[in-house]
Amino acid sequence: MPELPIPIPPLPTLHESVFMAIALLTVVGAFLVVAARNLFHNALGLALTFFGVAGVYFVAEAEFVGVAQVLVYVGAISTLITFAIMLTRGMMYGATSPLNRQAGTAAIIAATVFVVMAGLLGSLPWPVAEEPIVDGQIVIANLGVGFVTEFVVAFLLLAVLLLVALAGAIVLAQDRK
Amino acid sequence: MAQDYFPLLVFIVVSIVFAFIAIGLPSILGPRRKNQQKQEPYESGIIPFQDARRRFPIKYYLVAMLFILFDIEVIFLYPWAGALLPLRDGYGIWLALVPMGVFLFILIAGLVYEWSKGALEWE
Amino acid sequence: MNNASLELNIVALAPAASMVIFALLVMAVDVFARGTRTQPVRAATPWVALLGVLVTAGVCVWLLGQPVTTFQGMAILDRYSLGIAFVVLVAAGLSILVSARYIPRVNAQVGEYYALILLISAGMMMMGAATDLIVVFLALETFSLGLYILAGLRRSDAMSSEAAMKYFLLGAFASGFFVYGAALVYGATGATQFEQIAAMATNPATDLTFIYPGIALLIVGFGFKVSLVPFHMWTPDVYQGAPTPVTAFMSAATKAAAFAAFYRVFLVALPSQQAVWGPALATLAVLTMTLGNLAALRQSSLKRLLAYSSISHAGYILVGLAAGSIAGVEASLFYLLSYAFMNIGAFAVVTLLEKQGEMDADGARLRGLGQRKPLLAAVMAIFMFSLAGVPPFAGFFAKFFVFAAAVQGGMSWLAAIAMLNSAIGAYYYLRVTVVMYFNAPDAETVSEVKSNWPLNVGIGVALAFTILLGVFPSLWTTLMESGVVTALALR
Repeated sequence: MPELPIPIPPLPTLHESVFMAIALLTVVGAFLVVAARNLFHNALGLALTFFGVAGVYFVAEAEFVGVAQVLVYVGAISTLITFAIMLTRGMMYGATSPLNRQAGTAAIIAATVFVVMAGLLGSLPWPVAEEPIVDGQIVIANLGVGFVTEFVVAFLLLAVLLLVALAGAIVLAQDRK
Repeated sequence: MAQDYFPLLVFIVVSIVFAFIAIGLPSILGPRRKNQQKQEPYESGIIPFQDARRRFPIKYYLVAMLFILFDIEVIFLYPWAGALLPLRDGYGIWLALVPMGVFLFILIAGLVYEWSKGALEWE
Repeated sequence: MNNASLELNIVALAPAASMVIFALLVMAVDVFARGTRTQPVRAATPWVALLGVLVTAGVCVWLLGQPVTTFQGMAILDRYSLGIAFVVLVAAGLSILVSARYIPRVNAQVGEYYALILLISAGMMMMGAATDLIVVFLALETFSLGLYILAGLRRSDAMSSEAAMKYFLLGAFASGFFVYGAALVYGATGATQFEQIAAMATNPATDLTFIYPGIALLIVGFGFKVSLVPFHMWTPDVYQGAPTPVTAFMSAATKAAAFAAFYRVFLVALPSQQAVWGPALATLAVLTMTLGNLAALRQSSLKRLLAYSSISHAGYILVGLAAGSIAGVEASLFYLLSYAFMNIGAFAVVTLLEKQGEMDADGARLRGLGQRKPLLAAVMAIFMFSLAGVPPFAGFFAKFFVFAAAVQGGMSWLAAIAMLNSAIGAYYYLRVTVVMYFNAPDAETVSEVKSNWPLNVGIGVALAFTILLGVFPSLWTTLMESGVVTALALR
């Protein structure tokens, strides 16, 4: 058999093809966010991206993070952003150009960051988990144990953070009587 | 394991395909005779009187923000429930109950606060 | 699950916990007042908050006598964290006094304001106590989120809203940088606890490729919070747009909190990489001092002047970290404390010069203040002298200690640049004094200066300590000295 100039890449496994589909979905969503001319469509694109990211978590066997992503980001943050757009006069209708004076500079910076990060991430020997995670239940239970033991400071601090957000929400958005 | 989600994947694919069929097939096969009334969005027989996309009062925003906060709180309750079993022996149960108790106390105090502030009133 | 290995020393969290409890108390008082429609109860919220600050200060004084305790490798109670807690308490206490009559004018929702100040302070104290990147991040978010809201407290005012918006967008972006940096450090070392990171970073088997971009991103994240050039763009607009007591609190307390974690991350977790971050921080310090001072020369708004001055002070403080020594840490702690007193004092005077309905004062309003209000002018002059680093005020020893630490750390060139910058800085601080004493008041500037007693108490305390720390800096340094050594010896 004659040698091919480049080796034929092996067919992607099911796992890999699912990842690719989800990654494509995420990138398309992200592109919509920056490229769509109607702000409302940007928000819908963002929801799509959130959903794609949740899918990536599932593929990476981080089920809890995936569920949290769907519940908080897809479910709540997207809604909040949609509301924010709907609150604003003039933003709902009409096309706003996604380009401004700084678009060129931004594109160059984004491209540079992408090239640097891709080069860096691609060149590293990543540690591979020796055995697949068998039971997601145990992982989540361990996470729960972590909340109340090892990470209890962070856990309680999070409650304070949420309290700050709650008080802040009232200051910012309560109707003046 | 990721394989456990294979049924979910099939489900998602089938639902997407079905959506395309349900919307796509009639537009190919169905007859098209347009008139003014048919072009209007279907609102249970009521004639639409304004655009569906309209400005919202800020109250919705406040409610949405508060919803996110309690949504996040619930996310943390879920793994904690899983932690009760491994921690059930000896003083471990207090280890599980006390931090969550403090966590919930802080957030319920916040809830009581916003309630008494009238942030939940709609009028 | 080995429960015996847990070290749950609640004591280590006592200062922050005390602040949270009092924040809840403030909320309760606010709600109670709403229910009964009794104004006197409602007016009590600042005093409950102030009581919280004083009680927490008492707790901290008691804790000074306690041995160093750690909480699960996540937080630590040592002299360093207590020192930061004191600085935050000073800033919170003084700001509450300045706010007492100011905030009701700006936004009627007083209850949240004081509760937020206390909660933000709790987050800031955790910045000083954190020994884990996750806790640092949560503490950072806790106080930042609160500050975004306080900056936009005056919802009807376009500048205030703009300040909140800018601060939030850029701050969220900077938090993103911080998290990315923390993630890369975690990726390189497999640890988020500082001591474990330090152990892994010195282990020859560790692949350290990721740690360098991680360090760079952490510097960006922290650099934003302490407003180092070139991450300072937000500072003038936010300082100008935010209500003045909030600006005062923000300038002193945020610096203390962010520098606290900045120092601990770099000196405890990443000391092995000092060859990398040392020169980078020295460069940033030079840029920050120089650009901050040069920009301050051109300002006419008093709040913008103080904003650029605060940028340059961040540069001076960073000199202490670039020195990378224990002397540098001690010097920076002293600097942060002195800065809290003199800077909040200066902002407090600015609130007196503001016209009704405004949230900023033009430098021209200082004209002839020496004749109109000799006492106020003298007080302002002292704060300005202290900021400029003139003896015998606190600012002099603050600068002296930091520059001495830089010289000891073999960075004489940095100390020289810093001294040159102090000279530039002295120009605009002294110009304020000149305007007060040597310019005649004109018709526009003869405005009513309405004083009130909480504000006067606040200015008085700030003034007393600005002078006291300048005359007896050992009051503070002996308190902290032994402790900072233990904090860093832990690594």
